[in-house]
Amino acid sequence: MRRRVASGQCNAVAGAPSDMVIYITCMLLSISASDDLPIYRQIMRQIMDAIAGGRLARGEQLSSHRELSEQLVIAPLTVKKAYDELEALGYITSQRGRGTFVSDTLPKAAQGVQAEQLGELARKLLSQAYLSGMRLAEVMQLLRQADRSLTTGSDVASRTRRKTAI
Amino acid sequence: MKPVIMFRDVVRSYDGGKPVLDGVTFSMQSEEVVGLLGRNGSGKTTLMRIAMGMLFPHKGSVELFGLSPTEHPVEVKKRIGFVAADQELPMFWSVGELIALHRKLFAKWDAAMEKQLLERFALPLNTRLNKLSTGQRRQAALLCAVCHRPELLLLDEPAAGLDPVVRREFLETSIQLLNREGTAILFSSHQMADVERLGGRVLLLDGGRIRLDRDLVTLREQLCVAVITRAAVADMAALERAPGVLRVRTMHDKVHAVIDGNPDSVKRLLAEHLGVRDAEVKRVGLEDLFIEMLGGERLESAA
Repeated sequence: MRRRVASGQCNAVAGAPSDMVIYITCMLLSISASDDLPIYRQIMRQIMDAIAGGRLARGEQLSSHRELSEQLVIAPLTVKKAYDELEALGYITSQRGRGTFVSDTLPKAAQGVQAEQLGELARKLLSQAYLSGMRLAEVMQLLRQADRSLTTGSDVASRTRRKTAI
Repeated sequence: MKPVIMFRDVVRSYDGGKPVLDGVTFSMQSEEVVGLLGRNGSGKTTLMRIAMGMLFPHKGSVELFGLSPTEHPVEVKKRIGFVAADQELPMFWSVGELIALHRKLFAKWDAAMEKQLLERFALPLNTRLNKLSTGQRRQAALLCAVCHRPELLLLDEPAAGLDPVVRREFLETSIQLLNREGTAILFSSHQMADVERLGGRVLLLDGGRIRLDRDLVTLREQLCVAVITRAAVADMAALERAPGVLRVRTMHDKVHAVIDGNPDSVKRLLAEHLGVRDAEVKRVGLEDLFIEMLGGERLESAA
């Protein structure tokens, strides 16, 4: 039975990644060709969410371009574009002949956005919520839902569980 | 390295009528994916048939791998796979007979790929093609088109009339070829979701010419649609001439303009060149962009 790589454990093996690595990366991602975002940005956003929520640990290996392309039924260049952009931002690193890994040292923005910026975002959120008639308790509930979505992958995670059980 | 496809100023009409292709120029490199989009009757099938050597261009020149497809049909066809929605197949042959013919014709036939695709498609080898569903016939054609590991795959609306399962199998097979063989793919489709998945470059064919030739990411991220109240556009001609404006059309009491740039730069352009400050500017998906580029006008008086 396939299982997830333990948090923080690097699955770096020379050559092709194992079936488990492919399985994990694909289960973290859910692509929609009719989404407002281009597919490469959907991949980027979901990998960044998975890193932020701890579902992808530092040093963990990602599927290769080719494997992800075939699993998600998208062009290999689309996967390459997403990985290149993530690498340029410092979230992942590719090592020739070994594969692609979540960076050991994440970019500054991922480690902690300035409190001032977060405060501004919180004010904007509350302002929008109050204007639409919501109360603070309801906003807190939304934040808890967003937290669960980041840490568990929400619907993607539930699909993973179903598939694992088959 | 020679381009896989090179069209130079290609003109083609039927029975002396208005040209269906009227000066088409484009090229494709190996391992490139190009999606050919256009309304019905825009010349997509004519372009594919000229590339296959099934039709002569009336003017201009066509080369595949540096060779004319009409002067060197065998050499060119050996390196191409072709599937079309209206493809003619020998309907009284069985699936097995059709595959056996292709196996004999192509020295590079990949028996392992044949086996894999036969299993995936679950095609009945002894059944005649006229007894198969449209989807099964298209699967048989796809198998014959790809098992000689072509350098170029031409797919003319391969998904037309197919259910989502068969459509997905076409995509999976195309992507497998892209990954494993580096096959260049030129495909036409009305399925924008398929175009998004195959990625690459998009050619928009309209009025016999290529109106737009951009990669998909650029189309999605560096083009915007501006919706402006008609009364706010004092000079329509100035809007049409403004830098980066690709198309302007009127929809009831609004003017829609497709413009190069991001929302901020487009808003600046509209304000500086035309004095328009209340435009709604947004990036749009491929389907909306297709409609904005090729859709007709709806004038208030006609509504």
